[in-house]
Amino acid sequence: MTIRFEKMIPLPMLEQDTSGSEVWEAESLLLEQGKYYLVEAPSGRGKTSLLSVIYGIRTDYQGVVTIDDRELVSFTLKEWSSIRKSELSFIFQGLELFDDLTALENIRLKNEMTGYHSNERIMEMARVLGIDPFLQRKAGILSFGQQQRVAIIRALCQPFNFLLADECFSHMDRENSLTAYHLIREECEVRDAGLILTSLNETGLPNADVRLKL
Amino acid sequence: MRLLYQILWKDHSRAHLLGAFLGTLAGFVLLLAGIQFYMDIKSVLSENRDLLDPEYIVINKKVNIGQTLGLSRVGFTPEEIEEIKAQPFADQVAAFNSNEFPVSAYTENERFPDFITDLFFESIPNEFIDVKSEEWHWDPEKGTIPVIIPQDYLNLYNFGFAPSQGLPQIPKGVISMIDFKLRLKGQGRGNYDDYQGRIVGFSNRVNSILVPLDFLEWANQKYGYFKKNDPSQVILVSKNPTDPNIIRFLEEKGYDTIREKLKSSRMNIILKFIISFLVIVAAIIIGLAFLVFLLSLQLMISRSSEKIRRLNKLGFHYREISRPYILLLLLLMAGITGLSLLLTSLLAGQLHQTAETWSLNISPSLHGIIYGTALGLILLISVANVTAILISTKKLCK
Repeated sequence: MTIRFEKMIPLPMLEQDTSGSEVWEAESLLLEQGKYYLVEAPSGRGKTSLLSVIYGIRTDYQGVVTIDDRELVSFTLKEWSSIRKSELSFIFQGLELFDDLTALENIRLKNEMTGYHSNERIMEMARVLGIDPFLQRKAGILSFGQQQRVAIIRALCQPFNFLLADECFSHMDRENSLTAYHLIREECEVRDAGLILTSLNETGLPNADVRLKL
Repeated sequence: MRLLYQILWKDHSRAHLLGAFLGTLAGFVLLLAGIQFYMDIKSVLSENRDLLDPEYIVINKKVNIGQTLGLSRVGFTPEEIEEIKAQPFADQVAAFNSNEFPVSAYTENERFPDFITDLFFESIPNEFIDVKSEEWHWDPEKGTIPVIIPQDYLNLYNFGFAPSQGLPQIPKGVISMIDFKLRLKGQGRGNYDDYQGRIVGFSNRVNSILVPLDFLEWANQKYGYFKKNDPSQVILVSKNPTDPNIIRFLEEKGYDTIREKLKSSRMNIILKFIISFLVIVAAIIIGLAFLVFLLSLQLMISRSSEKIRRLNKLGFHYREISRPYILLLLLLMAGITGLSLLLTSLLAGQLHQTAETWSLNISPSLHGIIYGTALGLILLISVANVTAILISTKKLCK
């Protein structure tokens, strides 16, 4: 899968100074499957907008965005839901967890839809990220850092060609961030998937194939 | 997808849904019971009226003072008869023929006191007459005139006149043995003939003195000299005597008949009025309940709009998201169908028992049309609601 931008810019960004941006100022930008893109920028530079456009939940942009040479605007609702089930996965900055469900139920909601991981693998990932003691608690009462790890595991419970991760380590300490980062890289490698990770600042997350400044 | 149901059902409003459920249920029971009882009562009415046989209705114009003074006519004009024939409830129509010459009857018998009386004759085609007799035809060779008189006349004599005058009561069979003569007078002095008369039957249907049509035509030819009058009575056959239009037509035209015979027609008018009222009320209730249903589900969806957007972001299609709402709707609809049919059949059973004590035959089970109506309505409401659910969930999805 390839994602291509041609002079794409979200409409709200038009009013901002985007000089120096390697994305908004680019004539054309190609994102390839299997590569790891690190998008770094301070707040308000359009990190979330960028990922949302790719994921089809924002359509207020000018220019052209294509997935495998098909314009995003041409996808139907049905195609979007199939893409979100098997081709694109998103770790939302706002997490989008259901507070009333337990952490495990939040993960299962996705996994039951895709049937991607076994229960054992889910438990293993939870153990790796250190949230296995909290799996039976309602997501709403977990700390934001814990919720972020639940959202990460949920996003990994499906096949994908690209994983869009929006500031997904923001509330974790460095050690936890690295563990989660390695888990994500590992899962991406299994799928030969691309990773687009946004981050506020130079977090020192290693091994990015491409660093993009917004 | 148990979790999906868990997420989306959480936001229902029990009070709204219960209200919509009970409202629709009440409307359904009212409507179904109304139809059921209408069918029952209709069949009871037809049973009592022997609806399988067509009804013979004799109509005449109401006598008013104008007719007494000779200002307006009592007979039916040919146009009026054509108009009656054109009515959808009139399957066959015939006018009464009458004698156009003077007739009198007298007895010459030792066992009965002599009497003489002026008479009249009327005739209608044979198929309208409820007495079947082999003697019912005119044979000029034999010279016996068969006569049919109303059963009421015999009753009047046997139970009214005879006991009060010390006269013997006469059984039906004996009447036909009574000898009496009929004198038909033509125009001019001494221009008359006497014939043997014989009563061959008693009619419950026609309140007149009937002779065979062929005889009357022959006699009018031979003796008749009165100015021909329009027939004063018309007989019509209706296969559907409960048709309320009969009464309406008669009233509108100022025609009269033996009211008793059209009781079921009038009952039918009242019944139809009550049932239409019931159906309108039921329709309003069902309509309102349907709206409450629609609004409760829409409210439920809009309360869950954030969750629906979230599910959509996770890759759920709006059809998948709609499923919990549709299932909830269908469960409620199935409940309404089942309960309303159950309650209606309980009511029907109750009515059946009550009616049995009056020896009325009312069906204890539901008529087929009840199931049809219930399913049809449920289908209609469900389809409308499902469409609304799909539209509003789709709106929330990207």
